[in-house]
Amino acid sequence: MTTSPFQVLGVPALFALDETELEKRHRDLSKALHPDRYAGRPSSERREALSRAISVNEAFRRLRDPISRAEALLSELGREVSETNQPKPEPALLMQVMEQREALSTARRAGDRPRIESIAEQASGRAEDAAERMADAFSEDPVPVELVLRLLGELRYLRRLKEEAGAALDEL
Amino acid sequence: MTMLLDIFDPKAAPRAIGIDLGTTNSIVAYVRDGAPSALITCDGAPLLPSVVHYGPAGAVLVGRAAKAQLTRDPAHTIQSVKRFMGRDAKDPETARLGAHKFATPKNDEQARSVRFDVGRVVTPVEVSAEILKSLKQSAVDQLRSVGGVVITVPAYFDDAQRQATKDAGRLAGLEVLRLLNEPTAAALAYGLEHKQNGLFAVYDLGGGTFDITILRLEDGVFQVKSSGGDSALGGDDMDRAIAAGLLEQMGASGQSAPEVVALALSAARELKHALTDAPEASLELPAKGDTTIVAKLTRAQLDALIAPLLERTGKACRRALRDAGIEAAALDGVILVGGSTKVLRVQSYVAELFGKQPRCELDPELVVAYGAALQADLLTRDDGEVLLLDVLPLSLGIETMGGVFSRLVDRNTTIPVSAKETFTTAVDDQTAVDIHVLQGERELAVDNRSLARFKIPITPLPAGVPRLEVTFLIDANGILQVTATELRTGKAAAIEVRPTYGLSEGDVDRMVEESFTYAEADVEARLLIEARNEADTVITHVERALRQGEGLVGPEERQTIGAALETLRRARATEDRARIQEATTAMNRATEHLAELMMDAALKAALASRRADQVLEK
Repeated sequence: MTTSPFQVLGVPALFALDETELEKRHRDLSKALHPDRYAGRPSSERREALSRAISVNEAFRRLRDPISRAEALLSELGREVSETNQPKPEPALLMQVMEQREALSTARRAGDRPRIESIAEQASGRAEDAAERMADAFSEDPVPVELVLRLLGELRYLRRLKEEAGAALDEL
Repeated sequence: MTMLLDIFDPKAAPRAIGIDLGTTNSIVAYVRDGAPSALITCDGAPLLPSVVHYGPAGAVLVGRAAKAQLTRDPAHTIQSVKRFMGRDAKDPETARLGAHKFATPKNDEQARSVRFDVGRVVTPVEVSAEILKSLKQSAVDQLRSVGGVVITVPAYFDDAQRQATKDAGRLAGLEVLRLLNEPTAAALAYGLEHKQNGLFAVYDLGGGTFDITILRLEDGVFQVKSSGGDSALGGDDMDRAIAAGLLEQMGASGQSAPEVVALALSAARELKHALTDAPEASLELPAKGDTTIVAKLTRAQLDALIAPLLERTGKACRRALRDAGIEAAALDGVILVGGSTKVLRVQSYVAELFGKQPRCELDPELVVAYGAALQADLLTRDDGEVLLLDVLPLSLGIETMGGVFSRLVDRNTTIPVSAKETFTTAVDDQTAVDIHVLQGERELAVDNRSLARFKIPITPLPAGVPRLEVTFLIDANGILQVTATELRTGKAAAIEVRPTYGLSEGDVDRMVEESFTYAEADVEARLLIEARNEADTVITHVERALRQGEGLVGPEERQTIGAALETLRRARATEDRARIQEATTAMNRATEHLAELMMDAALKAALASRRADQVLEK
């Protein structure tokens, strides 16, 4: 995808986007160009609608998720990042993550649903907190890229923890 | 138009229909005066049992007549074929699913699909096509002219199962406008869009599949927030659980003859249905040594038998809620779909699970077909008010080094969607790149469902030099298309590959041809009509586009389009099908740029309806 997802959805390039409004924008655009709208049309129009709908969905997918939204913003600043070229996390965060993992696997073995749920909740809370700090960071000028990258790493760890907690709940 | 005129009009407009191709029963419906209505099938009722019998002389029976053969001639009778759609011969589900005789595959290609031995060898696609043909015939008898069709599939169906369903439609001679997820169809049938915005759960327990879907409705747009379920869990499992007990009472131990199993299954169904109206039910059954027994079943016994099945549905529901990021309390309503939700314990279980009384005022067996008919109607009417946005049910990815599954598109992503991946070679002068496409949520490739393996030829070059860009496109039906482009020295050679599931596109074409019982001239006449219809569509739309997009293109381009339009009009007047098709293709090419500009204008209009500052927080 070469065009900026912010451009595709016609929203400002900011981290603090309101999710409800973002969804509304996605719906409005989908209403205008979903392939179902072009079911009886000539194939040139159908093809065009399909490729537009794909870019709108792709832009929506990227902006809805705080992690990929931050990545998109960094890419606007000329910094391409992904999970693989992420700087090393801070030792303090690593320690915390290891403790949480430990707690999760204990709860998992014990089949302790409330405990797993509370770990997942804590992770959600901390992710929200990190996202807030991320919004603050992106509103500074110039953007403190190193801080943003650290927060990005934190968000990734928290998400993985939440996924693992989810998988543990599935097993119960 | 009055009915009378309708009857005598030889050129009656084709009517779009909706089909619920179910595991146990199938239904065809259409929209009359804005309201959906189920058509009577060849069995004289809306429900056509999804059973097909292959007679010794090649005669094919569908519906109740075929169902009657289940006990008499089970070896040549196929039921619950939906469960085998898109499954390969080695699939563990295939073996578990019953009393069918399978043909041994002679090669890998054949092993990609289940093949039933019913005197001749048939695939699930062909069996399903028989059911669809019968439904189509009923629709033609009653509506006289049938246009496009919307066929429903469980939201949980993977790419292979969807592709197989679409192929079955084609094989039945139907123009498949769209595959629609069953829960979305149900929501449409409840007319939720007229009433309210909100969050809804659709709990769909059919004959062979369970689906749970969390839908959000806002401003006429249905959006699937999450979906989950089990493509091998349903009323059939209840029947099997009951039948196992009956077989014991009948003194049939161990491996029973298919006839006996079929008898026990049909008795199980009868008892289950009777329990909806009465607290207990009984039935006389033959037993060992020419005796008979009276099999009795109470509601409490049934509840105990199905408890583990319901628990499995509960687990999928909790996960779907979690995926959607909501609590059960946030739901504005729960809809029941599928014949199995007539079981009272299912209703009370759902009420407990979600903390609210589920809605079931529409017949849960017809509601999906109603929704399909409504969607077919919407698609052909070009009405801008209601839109269904579906999501990918299972993550899609490829196998990478060490057998690891690498996700390209996550589950619950809104479709259509595409993903790109660049491949290179590991050894010098490699002539092809192997790509293995899978669908599922597990870490290892082997634990996920294999969709297709491609070998894409490339120019031999030193290792690591070639750049092969592969695009995975998932259309609005949830069906995958793969395009590969070799990127070197700015020259791109694109090839398109379609995953095969035991049936290649050529196979389907051949079967379609074989299934035509018309004389050659009839086929030619039909194809000519189709070409003319397509030309008419294009002409109408281009004329409109020229009016609406008047200022968008320069005089030169208008002239080119005008010339192409004139050529097409002249070709349309001839009997020459090839010429009509050629002119239609040329017309499409000539308007590509205009289509692009119009789309831009439509987008701008959609964006303009909201000011940018409203997207900012607070």
